[in-house]
Amino acid sequence: MRGNSRSLRHLPQTSTNTDVGPPQSEARRPPPARHAPRLKPANHSERNGVAEVCVLSAEPHVFRLSSVVCLKERTSLLLSIGKMTAQEVRLCGLLLREHFGEVVEKVGTHLLRSGAQNLRTIIHETGLPLDLVKKSLCVLVQHGACNFRSGRKGPGCPTEYQASGDRILRILRYPRYIYTAKTLYGDTGELIIEELLQRGHMTMSSTVKTVADRLTQNMEEGRSMDYSEVTSAFSKLVETQFLQRCPPMGGARNTKDSGSPPTPSTPATPGTPASTALLTPESFPDCYKVPHITLIGRGKRRHSSDDGEDQKSAKKAKMDPETHGDEGIYWQVNFERFHLHFRDQAVISAVANKLDQTCSEIVRTMLRMSEVTTSPSATCTKPLSANEIFRSLPASYNILRPILDQYLTLLVDDPMEFVGKAGESGGGMFVVNLHRALANLARATLESAVQERFGSRSARIFRLLLRKRHLEQKQVEDFAMIPAKEAKDMLYTLLSQNLVQLQEIPKTPDYAPSRTFYLYTVNQLPTARMLLQNCYKTVANLIERRLFETKESKRLLEKSQRIEAILASLQVSGAEPEQLTEVEEMITAPEKQQLESLRLHINKLDSAENQVDETMFLLEAYVSSTATSTA
Amino acid sequence: MDGWRSHDTVLQRCVHKLDIGQSNDRQTVDISLLWLWLLLTCRAAILKAVQLFVVFFFFIFVYHRIRELCQQFPHGITDQVIQNDMPHLEPQQRAAAINKLLSLGQLDLLRNSSGLLYRMKDAQSASKMKGSDNQEKLVYQIIEDAGNKGIWSRDIRFKSNLPLTEINKILKNLESKKLIKAVKSVAASKKKVYMLYNLQPDRSVTGGAWYSDQDFESEFVEVLNQQCFKFLQTKADMSRDSKQSPMVQRNSSFATSHEVWKYICELGISKVDLSMDDIETILNTLIYDGKVEMTVIAAKEGTVGSVDGQMKLYRGVNPVIQPTGLVKTPCGLCPVFDDCHEGGEISPSNCIYMTEWLDF
Repeated sequence: MRGNSRSLRHLPQTSTNTDVGPPQSEARRPPPARHAPRLKPANHSERNGVAEVCVLSAEPHVFRLSSVVCLKERTSLLLSIGKMTAQEVRLCGLLLREHFGEVVEKVGTHLLRSGAQNLRTIIHETGLPLDLVKKSLCVLVQHGACNFRSGRKGPGCPTEYQASGDRILRILRYPRYIYTAKTLYGDTGELIIEELLQRGHMTMSSTVKTVADRLTQNMEEGRSMDYSEVTSAFSKLVETQFLQRCPPMGGARNTKDSGSPPTPSTPATPGTPASTALLTPESFPDCYKVPHITLIGRGKRRHSSDDGEDQKSAKKAKMDPETHGDEGIYWQVNFERFHLHFRDQAVISAVANKLDQTCSEIVRTMLRMSEVTTSPSATCTKPLSANEIFRSLPASYNILRPILDQYLTLLVDDPMEFVGKAGESGGGMFVVNLHRALANLARATLESAVQERFGSRSARIFRLLLRKRHLEQKQVEDFAMIPAKEAKDMLYTLLSQNLVQLQEIPKTPDYAPSRTFYLYTVNQLPTARMLLQNCYKTVANLIERRLFETKESKRLLEKSQRIEAILASLQVSGAEPEQLTEVEEMITAPEKQQLESLRLHINKLDSAENQVDETMFLLEAYVSSTATSTA
Repeated sequence: MDGWRSHDTVLQRCVHKLDIGQSNDRQTVDISLLWLWLLLTCRAAILKAVQLFVVFFFFIFVYHRIRELCQQFPHGITDQVIQNDMPHLEPQQRAAAINKLLSLGQLDLLRNSSGLLYRMKDAQSASKMKGSDNQEKLVYQIIEDAGNKGIWSRDIRFKSNLPLTEINKILKNLESKKLIKAVKSVAASKKKVYMLYNLQPDRSVTGGAWYSDQDFESEFVEVLNQQCFKFLQTKADMSRDSKQSPMVQRNSSFATSHEVWKYICELGISKVDLSMDDIETILNTLIYDGKVEMTVIAAKEGTVGSVDGQMKLYRGVNPVIQPTGLVKTPCGLCPVFDDCHEGGEISPSNCIYMTEWLDF
């Protein structure tokens, strides 16, 4: 029987064509356990490719297999600490190398590829010395990229370490987080987030001190930043849940040594593997509580004459004997909250594009009102009455009540279904349909990708198939009004790129081509996954190209750095202008040009990475929203 | 024999009397006697003739009656109707009358679910087939039944059970007589379907307004596409600039399919007459381009452009997102994306697309 015979050998192979029914739209409905004991839902992978309808006579429904060449697998739908695809591992490795160095990269990629392992195995397999492995594991744990737990085989086993690829991929998004903090909370917020992202986990007092020092550095002479300002900014960030406390390490292991004050609300009992799954920071009651610290003072300005002393004092600051009352309470950036914010922004800008600026303001108000009342994985926000919305609109907009009602009706009637009506009380109860909005945005992303790559006529065929689900080739030609030859060509190109799938419906059991219906179809979710993998590969390509360009011009860069250092030292020691110009001329004009073009290239590659990251975010949000809604 | 002998004696007597030279009153009597003799002689023949006359007139009457009935019920009459009309008629006579009319070619015999139907045949078509034999009549009948869509020669063969050579000969004959014509089908270019000479081929055969001589007119479709879109877009822009309340703005940006059809007709860019359905297919392609959206509203019967109590409204829309970030990089559009690996012949380090893009 054609198909993945490995998994179906034990199943009855007689197929009758009387059971052939309409094709199912989701590709991975796991069959009932008693018929297919070997097929585990967690490992059931999406395969994009030619699908066939094979019928098992024992089962009443149709089970779909795939049998094709080009597989882009993404296993593990359920847990985020699952296996990762090759592209993701490659990207994680590149990010780790850029931010932490090659040793950490080696350890990290090894852990990603092989899952949870204990220390001895890691040392053995990576071939690195013990202290280096320990240090890299510390770095990874500090940044939340690695978790440890007691061994699976029993309480006496050595601890096992597991890397979380999702967390490592977030490194790509750091610039966006910092920028968002800047727009919301100004420079102070920006620096707080930046410090926390750089250090991973930090106490509040050390963060405040460092940020105050940095801000003071940039202010004019004589002014300095007060700690209280920074503290208030920090508290605001915690209130809006952009920062959260790190879960205490004791809670992740057995309760024997959890003597630390914030006891976990759900203690992990030893020996039950299920509970050693990550306890989220939110499961702790004090997650968003700002500790009371005594921190009075102002930021210290670092003068250039204190260079040597600063090195020592910078090291000393870590071992600062001053205590401020918040020892042991470490904070980290709450990525999920930032993601919710990005998602809201995407919905608002989509509404602004499609409809009107005023409509987008209304949606922004609605989303702001439901920020704290809606859970992150909710399908739609809690219902808000029109009266509440009217009261919460910003005063500058000056919208009258009947006009607001009209706008709300317009939003509800829009085919994109951003806003839905949930009842009539209070002048009408309205919700924002989050999952549907994400699905629409993902669909628009797919369509735009097809349009840019293959042309607007192929995009027309793609949209047509998205709308009409299953069509024969003749129908595609008729609906899209494209001549037969060209339509055929375009369909086959899309099929070869796996953006379109072919569904066979046989009239006779021997699948004779003249007596079979061939229907073209597009499945949004697997196509989105495939595009997501392409995004990972693209970002990895861009990073590699950037490293390559830097390596090519390494000699030139070193030369220019040396010259700058000489210039700086000459300026400090008060040299004459001729000496300066002489030094500057050591770099020839074509070299200057090369440096300039190199700088442009690197900037372009950097900004391209950020742009692709935006696409990645949309697609990831869509994929995870479907996972939670089907789970 | 006795009768004849008695005739003879009567004749003799009459002649004898005439010979004697009778008087006038006797002459009239003689003439009447002559008639009587004739009557008696040809009694059988005359009886037969009279009978025939009766039957003839009777049948004429029946034919006339049947024809009247046929004209009264142009869809055809069944046997039952004739029986109800002339209940005294016996079934055999009825059958004989109908057969006679059929053979004369004045009645059409049809069959429907409830039995046989008789229908008046067109006098004109009846005259056309004069001179053709039965086989040609049969083939003509089959082609006529196919109506607008025409029929393929193989199907004619199946229906008539005639051999291929005969069919071809007959078809050539009919074509030369200008009774049928061959039309090339747009679906399969080698296939020819036959239909009656004066019929307009159906849209499914010629492809409708979008095909001219079996060629799909893509430029024509493109031009129409752009015109419709421009019309809807200007309408939307005008409504947006009018700065009225949002409901009014949105409603005024809608255009019914009828309005678009009128606009296109007035533009006059089409040589062929386009129907509202044609315009709707064009508007559907605009929907698949993502530039236009459609809603259906209930409309009163009788308002212009409403079909079955519904009207389709179209309006131009803006795209929901800007082109996505992935396609702003060369990798998003790269034709050899799948072959690209670090260290291979195609790799990010030596990618020519990236080099061009970086220097842009």
